Amino acid sequence: MKRYIYILITILTVGGSACRKINVPPPNIIQDKDVFTSAPGIQAYMARLYSQLPIEDFRYSPARGLNFFWIISPTPATTGEALSRDQTSAMQENFGGWNWDIWHGSYHIIHDCDYFIETLPKYASSFSKDQVNQWLGEAYFVRGMTYFALVKRFGGVPIVNKTLDFTVGGSVETLKIPRSSEKAVWDQVASDFDFAIANLPATNADYSDGSRANKYVAAAFKSRAMLYAGTIAKYNTITLFDGSQNQLCGIPASAAAGYFQQAVDAAKTLDGVYSLYLKGWSATDKTAQYQNFVNLFSDASSPESIFVREYNYPNSVHGYDAYNVPRQLIGPNGYSSEVNPTLDFVEMFDGVPKDANGKIQTLDASSHYLLFNNTMDLFANAEPRLRASVILPGDVFKGQSIEIRRAIYTGPSAGGISPILPAGSKSQYPTANLVQSANAGQTAFTLPDGSKMNPAGASGIFTGDQTCAISGFSVRKWLDPNLPTSQVLENNETQTWIEMRYAEVLLNRAEAEYELGTDVSDAFNIINQIRSRAGAIPLASAGAMTIDTIRKERRKELAFENKTYWDLRRWRIFDKEQNGTIYRVLMPFYSSTAGKYFFDARTDERNAVYTYDPKWYYEQIPGGAISKSPNLIQNPGY
Amino acid sequence: MKKRLYYLALGLVAIAASSCSKLDNYPAPSNTITGETVDAGTGNSVQTEIGGRGTRVKLLETSYSANPTPYYFQSMQDGTFNNSKIFAATYNVSVEGPFVPLVQTDNTGKVTSDQSQNITIKGTNTVTHLNFKVEPFLRIDWVGQPVFNADSTVTVQFKISRGTTNANYQQDITNINLYVSNTKYDGDNNYDPRYSTLVSYSGTNGTSLIGQTITMTTTGGALPQQDVYFRIGARINAGLDEYNYSTPLSVKYP
Repeated sequence: MKRYIYILITILTVGGSACRKINVPPPNIIQDKDVFTSAPGIQAYMARLYSQLPIEDFRYSPARGLNFFWIISPTPATTGEALSRDQTSAMQENFGGWNWDIWHGSYHIIHDCDYFIETLPKYASSFSKDQVNQWLGEAYFVRGMTYFALVKRFGGVPIVNKTLDFTVGGSVETLKIPRSSEKAVWDQVASDFDFAIANLPATNADYSDGSRANKYVAAAFKSRAMLYAGTIAKYNTITLFDGSQNQLCGIPASAAAGYFQQAVDAAKTLDGVYSLYLKGWSATDKTAQYQNFVNLFSDASSPESIFVREYNYPNSVHGYDAYNVPRQLIGPNGYSSEVNPTLDFVEMFDGVPKDANGKIQTLDASSHYLLFNNTMDLFANAEPRLRASVILPGDVFKGQSIEIRRAIYTGPSAGGISPILPAGSKSQYPTANLVQSANAGQTAFTLPDGSKMNPAGASGIFTGDQTCAISGFSVRKWLDPNLPTSQVLENNETQTWIEMRYAEVLLNRAEAEYELGTDVSDAFNIINQIRSRAGAIPLASAGAMTIDTIRKERRKELAFENKTYWDLRRWRIFDKEQNGTIYRVLMPFYSSTAGKYFFDARTDERNAVYTYDPKWYYEQIPGGAISKSPNLIQNPGY
Repeated sequence: MKKRLYYLALGLVAIAASSCSKLDNYPAPSNTITGETVDAGTGNSVQTEIGGRGTRVKLLETSYSANPTPYYFQSMQDGTFNNSKIFAATYNVSVEGPFVPLVQTDNTGKVTSDQSQNITIKGTNTVTHLNFKVEPFLRIDWVGQPVFNADSTVTVQFKISRGTTNANYQQDITNINLYVSNTKYDGDNNYDPRYSTLVSYSGTNGTSLIGQTITMTTTGGALPQQDVYFRIGARINAGLDEYNYSTPLSVKYP
């Protein structure tokens, strides 16, 4: 027994004396002095800031948030630009269900920026003054972008412009920072961008390819943000105040003009630095105009690209083509046809024949279907930008004619074919006189002349599985025509995302000028620049232009670029457009007896009703954030 | 030595086991708040829709904080509400929905009128009745019975009037909808899009129908041969643009 006690005493003595505290930083943790003293260290820091930058790119969808690979409820399927088989209603964003949460994630980025802004000046002697200014400018740029991402979703949010230190045992009350007014956050966005503009060089010294900010990048985003703030001040009707009368939701209307002016001023600084992409454009050749608009999204040397996000296999990849190629070009791991443009969207473009109601003309004067030899005949005069944005039935992509056909109509055609359903009917098509196909494994139908034809096109429309062009159209924008089908895979693509291009800056400027009413002629010139590049018919006069002309131009130009979602929100017209709305589709049929095609314009066969709830203009603050900081007041209606 | 170890082990087991009894020392909530949102002008309950876009009751538990996180529960379609799992405490209670807000603020956030009710619930198994008199944005009343037409569509008639003279809530009517459903839980969140008739109005076109007998007919051809429920919803561009509703009306297929 005594022996054990001696052993115990010995262990305690030896062990106790080993507890000497030596003041050596842990060698396995990277310290500030390792990061902030070398350019590669700064680059590593920047890599994280930029990779987390909250932009709605190829890896964004409202259903699954930012930076998530699986895009099967794509953004255009929530805005009326398109239909997707996986999206059947209006929706608000879903935060944190699938990936990092926009609220907490944004404050991580803001913290990283604040830390950088506080720490870099301590090590400034390691670098040139220009380097320090550029990097500080970039940190302010990233922070401004992050506040922008928060305020456009939530309204006023807490402004945290310094790192918060918590000592164990200390009070947490000082960490429970309340929401600032919405106006204060927009002003914070403006001041962060202003700092960036003042400190960034004209060309980023580390990366000049548009993947990192320069002063014009910051100015371009400032024009976007200030236009956003101005339209909120002008059109928002939802208000929320805290107990001290800070306006957390909404901006006084009197502030609108100031924001619009800032948008115009910021946009004008890009004059002569960037330009619209016109490398292959010709004033007289519609095919050249079409090809020019297609190339704009893939030419790395485009003078129109201002800020881009680049991808790199296998570290950072997306699967845009895999999700969106027409069904007949499906890649080895499936998907295809997730973005199917609606007829409502297609009808916005020039060159689509219209009836007296302004809708697409598919019937003749005696209310019989117009007959066509080819499905593309209906779109013979379509605006080149439409063809570059949407694959129309029968158009050519990757060397194939994209075949979209709803069914073969076997009924009589002598004397004209009457509409299959009464006008406005939301019923299913009757099965009589129609030969249709449930899926891509088709049984060919024998036509009267003895030749064979599949009931549906190779890209749909299939009545059973909806892996096809359910609207009669398929998306064209962003698709890579040179990507071999064997490479059309998820998590395999590296096509560059263009987050900011000069056309948007021009459209920001035109919209802000029109809202101000000060320089409508400049707005008119801009709209016509955009229209002539697109191959559309130029507007006749500035007087004929309305705010809707400018908005419509913006929606066409920036379609499928995840911008329309935010535009519909800031214009506060989402709930007007999606108000018990069933979007329209265009179904091509082949008449076996006439040997010709006809089109039936109708509402979405799925009867998917879109109703946008106005309270979604301000998103719900995550419950977890309020639990941690009860000073956060929830937005109205949640 | 061995025996002592056994005793020690036994003691440890006894202590560990006795500490494992999990008893929530707070009794489950057993009090009830029940009541109704009543149209101050007519005394009828204010119709609403079920789910997130209808009337809801807001509880602020004011005994521990002047600025507590609100607790909400949803009203039923007919404007009544009932929650039987309420803790005994001090509450500030109000309702939110398609009517003039009980707590109004001016455009700088100052509270100008507050008709919320403060209640104290003590004990267990109590029932607290609360009636809230509100001014609905719109009142919708049926005129006569729905008529079955020869083509098996249905025509209904109704009148819309304003429920408030408050100058801040005289916005134009933006929508008047005839909802068709096969359950009585008809509303903007639950209707058959094939047969319902939805009409949007711009400017004063909808507002000019106030006080008139409005006639609406179902769309999409013959109704299916089953019981159907009709309901009218209308809204003005105020607050969160919630709908006011008529009562649901059922019609048997002839």
